[in-house]
Amino acid sequence: MSVNSLQLSEYLENMSGMTFRRLYQQPSAAFAVFRRMLPHLAKTLVMAILYMPTPFLYSDLDVWVKPAAKRQKDQALSILRALHIITSIPASKDAQPAMALTTNFKNSLRLALEGGGDHNSFGVPSNMPVSEDLDIPFLDKYARKKWDDILHFVVNSVGITDGSRMSGETSNGPKGSVKELLIGGRLVERKSPTSPTIHITQAGFTFLLQEANAQVWTLLLLWLEAAEANANAGMDHVDMLSFLFLLASLELGRSYSTDALTESRRNMLPSLVDFGLVYIPAHDHKQFFPTRLATTLTSSESSLRSVSAGFTAASEGVADAQDKNAIILETNFRIYAYTSSPLQIAVLALFCELKMRFRELVSGRLTRASIRRAVDMGITSDQIISYLATHAHEQMHRVAAATKKPLLPPVIVDQIRLWQLDTERMTATPGFLFMEFDSVKEYDQVKRFAEDVGVLKWSDDRKGMFFANKVEQIKDFMKNRRKENP
Amino acid sequence: MNNIDASAHYEVEATGQTPSLLTLIIDTNPRAWAALDGSLPFSKAVANILVFVNAHLAFGNDNQVAILAAHSNRAVWLYPPPPGRHARHGSSSGGDRDGDVEMAGANGQNGDSARQGAASSANKYPQFASIEASIVSSLRSLVSETAASSLPATTLVAGALTTALAYIHKTSLAYAPPKQSSDPANPTTAATVTATQTPTLHARILAISVSDSEPAQYIATMNAVFAASHARIPIDTLSLSPHASPTFLQQAAFITGGAYLSCAANPSGLLSYLMFGFLPDAEARTHLVTPSQDSIDFRAACFCHRKVIDTGFVCSICLSIFCEVPEGSECLTCGTKLALGKYGAKPVVVVRKKKKKKRINGLTGREETGSATGTPAPT
Repeated sequence: MSVNSLQLSEYLENMSGMTFRRLYQQPSAAFAVFRRMLPHLAKTLVMAILYMPTPFLYSDLDVWVKPAAKRQKDQALSILRALHIITSIPASKDAQPAMALTTNFKNSLRLALEGGGDHNSFGVPSNMPVSEDLDIPFLDKYARKKWDDILHFVVNSVGITDGSRMSGETSNGPKGSVKELLIGGRLVERKSPTSPTIHITQAGFTFLLQEANAQVWTLLLLWLEAAEANANAGMDHVDMLSFLFLLASLELGRSYSTDALTESRRNMLPSLVDFGLVYIPAHDHKQFFPTRLATTLTSSESSLRSVSAGFTAASEGVADAQDKNAIILETNFRIYAYTSSPLQIAVLALFCELKMRFRELVSGRLTRASIRRAVDMGITSDQIISYLATHAHEQMHRVAAATKKPLLPPVIVDQIRLWQLDTERMTATPGFLFMEFDSVKEYDQVKRFAEDVGVLKWSDDRKGMFFANKVEQIKDFMKNRRKENP
Repeated sequence: MNNIDASAHYEVEATGQTPSLLTLIIDTNPRAWAALDGSLPFSKAVANILVFVNAHLAFGNDNQVAILAAHSNRAVWLYPPPPGRHARHGSSSGGDRDGDVEMAGANGQNGDSARQGAASSANKYPQFASIEASIVSSLRSLVSETAASSLPATTLVAGALTTALAYIHKTSLAYAPPKQSSDPANPTTAATVTATQTPTLHARILAISVSDSEPAQYIATMNAVFAASHARIPIDTLSLSPHASPTFLQQAAFITGGAYLSCAANPSGLLSYLMFGFLPDAEARTHLVTPSQDSIDFRAACFCHRKVIDTGFVCSICLSIFCEVPEGSECLTCGTKLALGKYGAKPVVVVRKKKKKKRINGLTGREETGSATGTPAPT
């Protein structure tokens, strides 16, 4: 599960059951949630009970799943419950406890698999003539341009610019509405309410260091939240979300009719055009084209790698092509990035010391100073590591898969974390100090209890005192203990 | 400070699920399906199988599917369409394709192949629609090409298995890690790679069988099965017909570690069998208990007359199986002169002598050993 599906799942899990019922009415939404949000075992479970006429007994499930995989099973079940995909049927007089798919989800997923119905949730293709040059490479270039504009806007706010090419290329940044969204989502901040200069926040770094798909979702979720907060704008966030899932199931390079969309969904299109998810020809507002950013919204990670390969292939010959997965990290702290994109170089410059730059290649190394500088700017080591992992070169993935070793050299990963810890010699934990126990026995028992519930932070057996960051459970425990042996 | 500890390593694993390739072999023997028509018509079975295929593809974008028909006289590709037929369909449906003849399998899911099924509906996921169109049209032409005159009752499964294995091999090459390490100082030798390799593609074969195994194909089938076992590709088998038992496929499932199920008792429940028993791929099967077979038909076919036999003769050199002693007692496969011992010699009728019952002190009589000659008694 990647970072962005975690964000998305957090967003989804906070929605109410009612919202889910509405969301699952649309087959493409149920389908997208199924393929994107669920772990593998959960998918298998859903499929197994999808065509089952009767509820599935928990006892049967226990027989089916190997005892060693109990943890995975419990995890799968809890995710399925959180997303309102299964409901539990409690034990009754003549039935054992069982589970079943929720009605809307079941019907929608069945429709998605079988086809049929008249829900039009996989997009109505347009029959209008399409001009010849509106092909996939064009859409890729268009989407990349839009998205890079947004990223440049964020990167430029860092304050350190890399070379003179940057300023020349970001002549026209993203639309004002997108800027407002970025500011509203606190990815970037204005120094003062009136000043035009902005600077990046820690959330902004997180955003910048994600893979493209995760960035798209981050922005879309911000958009959804903004729409939710601003309820009188006439946008329904459930409808918006299901429209996004619909977009994800469309086919790249095909035109779709805007007439078949509802009024509110048609109103969403301009914003999606600003994000680069959708292209609408200037002379013809009756049709729209989803771009690769939209059609890969619900793709899994390994296919995203091939998507970025498609991006690369599509933009061949374009000088500033942005290779997404181009970083090779060696155990000697050297970094090679096969890219000539000023954007990616600027991001790398945030935490590496770049030494040399060739056509299509920059090389540099991670040093203590460069990592510390990044940490001082508010970037965490986790962000750096996840950036390196998501942008690792295909060759690194293959070698890691072949030799069963971690993707990034562990020595580097450890060192980056240690360098960050260097800057954090002291951590403050608010909490409570327990001391002056009546007896050693009492101290031992209370301390063991604190350890068991996971609130013990520090202890000194000789002095008979310990420190815990939460006190409620310990209080109850001590009270009960007093009662038992006064 | 306890956090800084050399024993705790932070490892960044390459996450994401391994793509899975399902190769489906559908037995399309017309006779066998005609026999099943009452409980499960062919059209309904195909509809069920399509839902199953869609369910497999729904697991992730990079899941792939390949479908073969094992017909009574040949094996036919249903999806991805074979190159020749591919071009023909492209021209019939608008002809906006550039006429390239790639097998639309390895990366045809990016929408290229979907375009040819021009009648895409708004109610169907585009990829599903394209596969359905391809399968239905391939099946149609297969049925129309089949002559009603010569229809054997068995199916050429071996050919389909071999084709499937070739396809899987070709596909897995696309996912294979590099042969040599890029690091010249630390080359990965072939031996270590195979020892520690995790598969980059979960491939499996599912055979949906309705007819008997053809004994004439025993050797070909078994060669394919052992090749699959060597490549760690499980062959799952679902037997539909109550009248037939696919002996060799049953063995194939056992040898390759696949699942064998027979839904002969209730063929109309085909979809439930497929979804429950055969949808879990190798990744899910590590967590689940797979349906197992209680008894396996281990009978083999003889090399001389292609008969399925219970007991027979086995060449001690090459392990060929014969139902009767080959001519001149020479192995038909390797030509070794086989020593038959006294086998086949007419038993000499021995007149059993009447024995005088002796009573020796302390002995209450000889135990009945069943042998013709008694234990020599002291005289």
